Amino acid sequence: MANPQSSATNSVSVDTAAIHFSDKKSKASLFSRYTEPLALLGALVVLVLIFSSLNPRFATIGNLQNILSQAGLPLIIGIGATFVILIGSIDLSVEGVMGASGMVFVLMSANSRGGTDFGPWAIVAGIAMGVVLGLVSGLIYTRIKVPSFIVTLGMWYVGLGVATILFGTESIPTLTSDELAIWSSQITLGLPNIIWVASVVLVLAALTLRFTRFGRVVLAIGNNEEIARGSGLAVAYNKTLVFVLAGALSGMAGIIATMQLGSGSATVGSGNLFITIPAVVIGGTALSGGKGGVFGTALGVILLTTLNNGLILSGVSPNFQSAVSGAILVLAIVATAWSQRDRLRISK
Amino acid sequence: MTTKATSQTSVLRLSNIDKKFGQTHALKNVSLEINHGEVIGLIGENGAGKSTLLKILTGIYQPDSGSIEVNGKSTKFRGPRDSVAAGIGVVHQEQSLFTNLTVAENIASGSKVASRFGIYRWGQINRAAAETLSIIGSSLDPSTKVSNLSFVDRQMVEIARAIRVDSTMGGSPLVILDEPTSVLERSETAILEREIRKLKAHGSVIFVSHRLDEIMRNCDRIMVMRNGELVADRVTSTVTEDELFKLMVGHEARAVSSSHRVVAADEQPVISVENLSRKGKYSNVSLSVHAGRLTAIVGSTGSGREELARALFGAEKFDSGSIAINGTKVTGWRIAKAVKRGVAYVPAERKVEGMVGGFSAAENITLTHPGKAAVGPIVFPLARNKIARTWFNTLDVRPNDIALDLARFSGGNQQKVVMAKWLNSPELSVLVLDHPLRGLDPGAAQTVNEQIKLACSNGAAVILLSDTLEEALEMGDDVIVMRDGEISATFDMTKESPSTLDLLERMV
Repeated sequence: MANPQSSATNSVSVDTAAIHFSDKKSKASLFSRYTEPLALLGALVVLVLIFSSLNPRFATIGNLQNILSQAGLPLIIGIGATFVILIGSIDLSVEGVMGASGMVFVLMSANSRGGTDFGPWAIVAGIAMGVVLGLVSGLIYTRIKVPSFIVTLGMWYVGLGVATILFGTESIPTLTSDELAIWSSQITLGLPNIIWVASVVLVLAALTLRFTRFGRVVLAIGNNEEIARGSGLAVAYNKTLVFVLAGALSGMAGIIATMQLGSGSATVGSGNLFITIPAVVIGGTALSGGKGGVFGTALGVILLTTLNNGLILSGVSPNFQSAVSGAILVLAIVATAWSQRDRLRISK
Repeated sequence: MTTKATSQTSVLRLSNIDKKFGQTHALKNVSLEINHGEVIGLIGENGAGKSTLLKILTGIYQPDSGSIEVNGKSTKFRGPRDSVAAGIGVVHQEQSLFTNLTVAENIASGSKVASRFGIYRWGQINRAAAETLSIIGSSLDPSTKVSNLSFVDRQMVEIARAIRVDSTMGGSPLVILDEPTSVLERSETAILEREIRKLKAHGSVIFVSHRLDEIMRNCDRIMVMRNGELVADRVTSTVTEDELFKLMVGHEARAVSSSHRVVAADEQPVISVENLSRKGKYSNVSLSVHAGRLTAIVGSTGSGREELARALFGAEKFDSGSIAINGTKVTGWRIAKAVKRGVAYVPAERKVEGMVGGFSAAENITLTHPGKAAVGPIVFPLARNKIARTWFNTLDVRPNDIALDLARFSGGNQQKVVMAKWLNSPELSVLVLDHPLRGLDPGAAQTVNEQIKLACSNGAAVILLSDTLEEALEMGDDVIVMRDGEISATFDMTKESPSTLDLLERMV
């Protein structure tokens, strides 16, 4: 044969590109679309059955309300985290932002130190603190292109620092209003207030993902950032907006956590990051971005909260508590990620 | 869409476009003009500057100097958004759709999406998409998620996006098809060619392809690029394929010799496979390849040949059967072991599996078999660079910069480096090639082919999964046909000369 290219004339292509796509097609079939949430619900039912048999106090209305109140905070934070993970990033600053926002809230409300009571403006200011911290993270991440992992790890401690500075050296600021302290766990129409707040946030977030330009661009960026940029989408702007949203929700959570605690503390948020990110992943949101949603996160949060509650009620020694929850989390994630194993998948 | 009859004014005019990346002069004074309703063929070797030119047209790169005119008006593309707004759409070689979004959203992406206060108006978005789809004669449901579509349907969505109705200012879109056929089956290519003819009624097309026959068949005018320059701009009827080849490569095509090495009766094969099976993929595959011989394996999608090739390299497990290298059966076959026994594998998914982007070309070449570039764990950069420079000269890698990040090279040149990585082994015994020529231009394909022949004549046993049947017949000493995971025919090319039809009959 004289020319390599003439061999291409009338060539019968036996190309194989199509095979990769037919795989994906079957994965996205209608059936599998519902298997993941169903599996989660199944796991929840199994947990409930096990714990009920171990302790009769588990399956009571009181304990159910208890579980839901515990789920409120991780759910609010988890919704923000879902957006962040949907764009393929991570936000570790949650607990720091909670501390800073909570502290702003306490100091601007009626508290034991005196000072002016700004009423509802204290809530606005607390959330604004979250917005600012989220904005700073987002800008450093998108403009200077530092990995979100590092930026938010730093912002975590910046948030704790801000809270500590605001706290100063005086006595602990305690909320003087008892109403505020019990508000979040009060029952309205059978459910704790905090879960109502979280539900409103959840529905708004779901609508945002489905019906707004911002939500769709978030999904597009998560699917393929390069194409998103090539299509002329405002990638950096929307990514920054996601961190602002996450900051605002962490701020909100910080305020509620502070109400529950009744006084200002820089570490008011501690323990929340640990449950939130696994809940998002167990809920089916891919760490690589683009796939998932907030309802999955809600299921993940409920599942993990039930697990924690059940472990305590079944009398697992507090000494073992943290090791057991950690191990179960890893197991749960392995189980969730099992179906997504891929020849070309690389985990870092 | 209003199609103005603007055949006199050019849709796009580039004047003296120049672009440098550091030392590399990617585009030298390129000027060109495209008229309404024209299909322009753009050809050139990998690294000739086509990609840079396309990236300038799509606003990803900005030229250092020169001007761009769209519909007679001078414009600057500061980013992809400007290019999209000017009515330029691209169908990428590797599909670039958001698989997690709907067809309609993908078609609308980048342009104005019907929304009020940021809230989507799904009805309007879907209607606009359906309208665009109907222009190219497609009746896809706009609300389907792209992940549920077949490959051809996805390409339809890409084309629809490229011509989307509302984004075209002058009413004459320019669609750039960037090697759309390199990953298509034959029947799919025919569909695409029909689309191109339809597109002519609505706007202009730039068609980039490595297959010269396709270019000749579909284009009104052909532009040839070489070393960053536009070296020819010809009306199709005035050139031949051979002339185009010469214009692209800068020299006549070299003849590839095809003499077959004869195997002695008692000679031991370098690699022999016996009854290799993997559930659902392939079963009872037996084959053996002697030193200096090339076995080509052909088969359609699902024939199991890719999985087989990967198993030979230890990259995938097999359930039963055995592999023997130089007569000794292997156990616990893994990639690390395979490499130690001199097995090399050039994967089809070059960017994912074949190279380390972010590493320089020199580092990539000496990654697996460092040779003199390393003693134990210590790497010697000077020795490494010397090895890399030798390979760059042998394989004519361009740009000739061994320290450059491999990700920055064009596809064909990346493939040359990936080949060099394996050829650098002094003990190369088995070379498994999975679609080594995919996406390569004729010049690069020739270089890679020559290296395969050279490795073969130096005593390696080569197993080739070819892109085309012709390639298999031309290169192979033996040609094996696989169907549904089993070998359906074996041809000894020293004794037989089957036609592509003979192969096809046993494939389906």
